[in-house]
Amino acid sequence: MQSQTLGWLLLAPTLLILAVFGLTPFLYVLVVSFFDWNSFAADPTMRFSGLSNYRHLVFDKGFLMALWNTFKFGVFAVVSQIVLGYFLAQLFMKDFPLKGFFRTIHTLPLMIAPVAVGATWRLMTVPGLGPIPYYLNQWFGYEFLISRFAGQAFMTAVIMDIWHWTPLVTLTLLAALSSMPKEPFEQAQIDGANRYQTFWYVTLPMLKPAILSALFIRLMDAMRTVDEIWMLTGGGPGSATRFIGLYIWRIVFPKTDYGYGSAMSLITLYLTIVLCWLLYAGLVARRDLRKPE
Amino acid sequence: MTRNRPGLSLLFWLVASLVTLFPIYWMFVVSARSRVELFSAPSFLIKSFFSENYLNTIHDPTYQKYMLNSIVIATSNALLVTVLALLACYALSRYKLSGKENIFFWTITNRMAPPAAFLLPLFLLYTQVFVVGDWKMFDTRIGLILLYCVFNLPFAIWTLRGVIDAIPRELDEAAFVDGASTWQVLIHVILPLARPGLAVTAILCWVFAWNEYLFAATLTSVNARTITTGLAEFVTVTGTNWGQMAATAMLTLIPAVAFLALVQKHIVAGLTFGAVKG
Amino acid sequence: MSGLKRMMLGALAAGLMAGVTPAKADFWADAGKEFSGVTIRGISESTPPSNYVKNVLGPAFTKATGINVEFEATSWDQMYDKAIKDMEANTGIYDFVYIEQDAVYGYLSRDFLVDLTKFIAENPKLKAPDYDPANFTTFANYFKGKDGDLFGVPMEAFIKVYLYRKDLFEDPAVKAAFKAKYNRDLAPAKNHAEYTEIADFFTQWGKDKGIELWGSTVQANTGHPASWYEYVESVAPTFGVYNWGIDPANNFAATVEHGGKMNSPEAKAALQFWLDLLKNAPPESTASTWDEVAATFAAGRAAQGLVYGENAAWIATDDSKSKVVGKVGVALPPVEPGVMEAAEAGTGYIGYYDGGAFGIPHSSKNKGAAALFLEYIAQPSVQADWAVAGSRITLQSTYDDPKVKAQDAKTDGYYTLMRDQGKLFAGAPAYPFHNQLREAVAPIFWQAISGELSASDALDQMATTAEAELTKLGYRK
Repeated sequence: MQSQTLGWLLLAPTLLILAVFGLTPFLYVLVVSFFDWNSFAADPTMRFSGLSNYRHLVFDKGFLMALWNTFKFGVFAVVSQIVLGYFLAQLFMKDFPLKGFFRTIHTLPLMIAPVAVGATWRLMTVPGLGPIPYYLNQWFGYEFLISRFAGQAFMTAVIMDIWHWTPLVTLTLLAALSSMPKEPFEQAQIDGANRYQTFWYVTLPMLKPAILSALFIRLMDAMRTVDEIWMLTGGGPGSATRFIGLYIWRIVFPKTDYGYGSAMSLITLYLTIVLCWLLYAGLVARRDLRKPE
Repeated sequence: MTRNRPGLSLLFWLVASLVTLFPIYWMFVVSARSRVELFSAPSFLIKSFFSENYLNTIHDPTYQKYMLNSIVIATSNALLVTVLALLACYALSRYKLSGKENIFFWTITNRMAPPAAFLLPLFLLYTQVFVVGDWKMFDTRIGLILLYCVFNLPFAIWTLRGVIDAIPRELDEAAFVDGASTWQVLIHVILPLARPGLAVTAILCWVFAWNEYLFAATLTSVNARTITTGLAEFVTVTGTNWGQMAATAMLTLIPAVAFLALVQKHIVAGLTFGAVKG
Repeated sequence: MSGLKRMMLGALAAGLMAGVTPAKADFWADAGKEFSGVTIRGISESTPPSNYVKNVLGPAFTKATGINVEFEATSWDQMYDKAIKDMEANTGIYDFVYIEQDAVYGYLSRDFLVDLTKFIAENPKLKAPDYDPANFTTFANYFKGKDGDLFGVPMEAFIKVYLYRKDLFEDPAVKAAFKAKYNRDLAPAKNHAEYTEIADFFTQWGKDKGIELWGSTVQANTGHPASWYEYVESVAPTFGVYNWGIDPANNFAATVEHGGKMNSPEAKAALQFWLDLLKNAPPESTASTWDEVAATFAAGRAAQGLVYGENAAWIATDDSKSKVVGKVGVALPPVEPGVMEAAEAGTGYIGYYDGGAFGIPHSSKNKGAAALFLEYIAQPSVQADWAVAGSRITLQSTYDDPKVKAQDAKTDGYYTLMRDQGKLFAGAPAYPFHNQLREAVAPIFWQAISGELSASDALDQMATTAEAELTKLGYRK
């Protein structure tokens, strides 16, 4: 094996940037989370308050509701994206006319800024401007009003997310499929495996790292979503789409409750890490144990 | 793997494209209408084209600058991140570094934090710590290019790790036996084989950087503002200028598609290479 | 839009010419010498009045003084956030910041702003001959400190008025139908019962005729602070519930139990009235913020509504944005009995006097140059074009300008109403904790709009939550 020093040198720039721009702010937020600090309180200074911010979080109904909504949103959106994305990536592996063209079209939603995506979906769904409520009403007599009905708002947010981010999964899986060696598939064919067996014992294990990274990235990003939802519903109606990213944004920005918002951020970060770790352990470790090398 | 029926695929993609394109088409419809026309009953047809929405943005030097900033920032960031992630993944994949799995997992936690609370420390860093004489990192392109690494590097490392791991070690070892240096192995062995992965990583990093809003809005002011923050400026108390906003969003697709076209061919190139190898 | 642009260019030319008129040029050029090459940076929301400053007044000022102006026009939330971060951390990024009327108390309580009266008195060289604080409308009073010193130069001011469709209200067929149904003449509502009746009537009229017309706009977004503001600024006061129903003199009590009025019977009646209007409002109302209410009215989808004054002018005059040009009537909002008398006596108010000013943060490193700029935009000579571009008026003398008078006539006397009846309107209460309290109670308020809570339950919960939040913030002991 080559010298370890060279390995560390190759990692160094990455670690340096993440330490300066990722770790430093994290430490600041960590410190602030132990303080009571609101710029516009009667006493605007920072006062040490120990764990009181964290204690309050456990009883903050709005926070718990936001977490639960975000979790639901994440599961609905991300599972659909992975399944749909895998399906589309497999289709892109075949040869058909105008493939490059269709791939470009299918990638377009990614290229639109979330602010504009939110605006576009808002424009499609606002009565008086948008075609969706208009035609649903004209053709089916269905009342579609996402600013009034919580379920509709939630589903619209999920569908918007699926529309916007499925291409990311497709591309990631496409890259993995493209760089896969052909030998295992040929071997499987020789061994007489059927399609299902090939998928389960050859494709899936080899795709696992890519699926996992797509899953994590999407799950995390769903937990951080702010601008799209902010444009679409602003978190309404009521708290139906007030996902955790937006909730924290409201606490830290307009409410200037820095201490509490910091604690909330860190708990959310912690929960995300735990969730990802469980997935990681469950999906990676378990299968590796079973498979003797 | 399965029988190839191009006609069926073509039909499927035509239908799928319609679904994908509908919101974009609606954005285009909005961009082609004047504010008054938007008030009529929603219709899918474009009867006349209200070009002022586009011309106002195209001729506005502010938006030209925003667009240029976005292009520079997203492209630099995507290139920087892809190169750094390639190096990092090579190290993680090929070297026995103590605690590397923990480091690998730690990198991704940088992407998990909800951004809102981190804006305050970043604002302080950019305005009070990263200051050299009169120069501040606040409102500079380099500031955003480096910051976007925080959420793009984890993504790139996680995507590329699998790609590099899948490249058989025997290939680099053979090259080392032939007397190649680490750099030569990276460039002549790893790079060609990882091309599809690198291309997709670069595209998606570019996309994340291009679309980012909260950091750009907080950490820039006049000079380094990006087009995404420019889009939010159309939302005001005296009426959101939906038409011009949609037109501007349509215009942002042009550099995005250009970048996509430029990089996308490497996904294909990788494919053929794989085929030759197989 | 091109019309506006051409107008702005014209104004720019006019501004530049004003810059070379000898008498005035002397002062600005002389005063600017000291700061030659300096760049001042300001932040504001990207509204028409701000964009006029960015595109016209800024460049004209640079031409006159040699001081560069970098003007950051951004979204509402961003503007607050960045200005506060900058002033809080004492960074000095911004040399002038937009102060919305309801934010000034927070800024003053934190001592973020430079005392302009004192600053100019201490630097007589910087006193422009045209700058006359006495010329400001009464709106400037909101930006004064305890001893009457000015902390912000008003740059825009509006009142939230009652707009109605004059063409419909004067249509003989409509009038006859209304008279037949309610046995009284159709006229802009004076009280809430009349308002509801008219809203009912027009909603039915729209249905009968098969046109997209409803009785009233409602700014009832279920996820945006705009809805809460419409209630506390424009609806509750007309029922005699002022200052959000909180009594600052009585330990910031909000509940009736402790002496507040947030959940008083009047407040509950006010909220119920407003929620009931949703029946007579177009379906997009639950998605409407301040600008969308204006858009709904401009689209001709509502017969009446409360609309922010900055929108009144374009709705009534700009046919590139509005379908109801020339069809708009302006009146005072409807009130409960006794409220108008209280407002006239100065013990109450009937609606919102909205607007903002530019102030200089203590953290600014170019206070002198920034002060010059603020004086520059407060000159009487630049006001009229600015008023026409953004329907804002901050100087008394601007009302008499022929350009403003011409627009006044086209808007059914909006400016006259503002000048004569402006005293009946009030700015937001003098609380330093606006955003903080709003964010705490608004989620409950949205539940009332979406029907999860009744008006009465929502207000009870809001009052309790408000007191808890004020205790947490340390204002309520």
